[in-house]
Amino acid sequence: MNDVALAATQTRYALRGYSRDRNALVFTAIFPLILLLLFNSIFKSNTQFDGRNVPSGAYYTASIISYVITLVSFGSLLSRITTARERGLLKRFRGTPMPSWIYLVSEIGRTVVVVYATVALLVVVGAIFYHVHVSADLLIGLVIYVALGVSCFCSMALALAGVCKTADSASAIGPLAATILSFLSGVFIPAFLLPTWILDIGRVFPLEHAARGLQSAFLLKGSTGLNGVDVGVLVAWTAFGLLVASRNFKWEKSGAGTT
Amino acid sequence: MAAVVEVEDLHKSYGQVERLHGISFQVQAGEILGFLGVNGAGKTTTIEILEGYRPRDGGRVSVLGIDPARANRQWRNRIGLVLQECELDPIYTVRETVSMFARYFEDPTDVQATIDSVGLNEKSDERIGRLSGGQKRRLDVALGLVGDPEVLFLDEPTTGLDPVARRDMWSMIEGLRSAGKTIFLTTHYMDEAEHLADRIIILRAGVIAAQGTPEELAASLGYHTEITFEPSVGFDLERLRTVLGAAVTLEASVVRFKTNRVQDDMAVLLEWAQGERVVLDKLQAIRPSLDDVFVQVAGAATAEEGAQP
Repeated sequence: MNDVALAATQTRYALRGYSRDRNALVFTAIFPLILLLLFNSIFKSNTQFDGRNVPSGAYYTASIISYVITLVSFGSLLSRITTARERGLLKRFRGTPMPSWIYLVSEIGRTVVVVYATVALLVVVGAIFYHVHVSADLLIGLVIYVALGVSCFCSMALALAGVCKTADSASAIGPLAATILSFLSGVFIPAFLLPTWILDIGRVFPLEHAARGLQSAFLLKGSTGLNGVDVGVLVAWTAFGLLVASRNFKWEKSGAGTT
Repeated sequence: MAAVVEVEDLHKSYGQVERLHGISFQVQAGEILGFLGVNGAGKTTTIEILEGYRPRDGGRVSVLGIDPARANRQWRNRIGLVLQECELDPIYTVRETVSMFARYFEDPTDVQATIDSVGLNEKSDERIGRLSGGQKRRLDVALGLVGDPEVLFLDEPTTGLDPVARRDMWSMIEGLRSAGKTIFLTTHYMDEAEHLADRIIILRAGVIAAQGTPEELAASLGYHTEITFEPSVGFDLERLRTVLGAAVTLEASVVRFKTNRVQDDMAVLLEWAQGERVVLDKLQAIRPSLDDVFVQVAGAATAEEGAQP
């Protein structure tokens, strides 16, 4: 079996695990759907984006998609990798002839599939109930921003996995970061309502750019929403995350094997 | 017989603390080597260096002719590991897990045959989360075997198991012996090593304190037969010490001393008892079991160094 086929099999294996894991299913698919429903029930009227009036339904569909990307690519992946490390699984894999990257690729592959499936679900719900107008431009922008966002937050997860000592702390960081950044980045509350200093902080981090890019794709008619700043910042954070991960990633839990 | 594992003057330190002080040994093909020591003696450090997980600071190490520090994929195909701590994902079944691991190896054994060989055939479709501790441990062994390795590293395979699960594990490992596998087994149970191993090495605080077949160990270290009795009346302890020329102790009305000339000392003792009119109640000469040997040889490490976490 060559390595690409092995990586594909390992990814399918990871997805089979996902399909059996009720907690993961609720957390990554049902929870965002509930958020979408809640925000749209609370904020019914129009909102503003880039100085124009836009339907809140479409705005929140784009926003919740960016939140899902963070939650799954960053939060779930970080928690899964650190848990596997704590259980000794990463070490176990390293003791087999399988190249270690295949395990990481399979976990990222699982993440990609889960994110795109959830995004598809949210877009369908948005199109039916929340004034999302599905066009070719939207789909192009959506697919690209989701890809950029997933790459960025997966690389953040790999970077943080090297820093977090325990799976407990790692599992807390994911949802914490996703939620706080969402408030700073115009995800839960539209950017035009936020004080400038909050947005200034938000703009440093990748979520703001994933969110704004997606919101542009959803809300600007006749545009894919792709723009140099948002794409550039996401790519830069991805590269930074990979750099940190390549230097710090640990396959064994800290303090293991000193005897 | 060729040596599968060769270790010469192996050194390893963690920070300022030297953990292995230059140990040397070999494991021959088809042999089960029992590597014994208390926690902190350096067992896991040694096995992890042999498994290619940990770099060494000095000495020469070769496993199947390759230096584990330069472990490559081909070499990993030829060795099997059963790690001390590895909690598999509870969401998959036994068969799924073993078949997934089989895919990592170039030339794996039959998945079902491997599951059968560790006695989990009835649990093939059970999720790992529903297995008992002993069954999980046997699954670990199956994962170590599925690549059809030439040498198997078993790191404390029965630690934490109940006595029945332990016996099951033993008979499983005996099955591997008849299959001709070379096995490097670490344990802190002497009875386990005595039962399973062809040869035993006792590690104490990073040095080899004793080695040999179980019989050789008993012969070379088991010389301190202990003689005990309860005297019927009071007597002069100092005089008995002089008569016997041994460190006789009296504690809780039990007199005891150690000797390696049982017959001679017993004669002297009986003669003394006759003369002093002392009745030797519950007179016994106890030959130490291998377990006692282990405590004698390896136990000192605990007192000297303190157990490591």
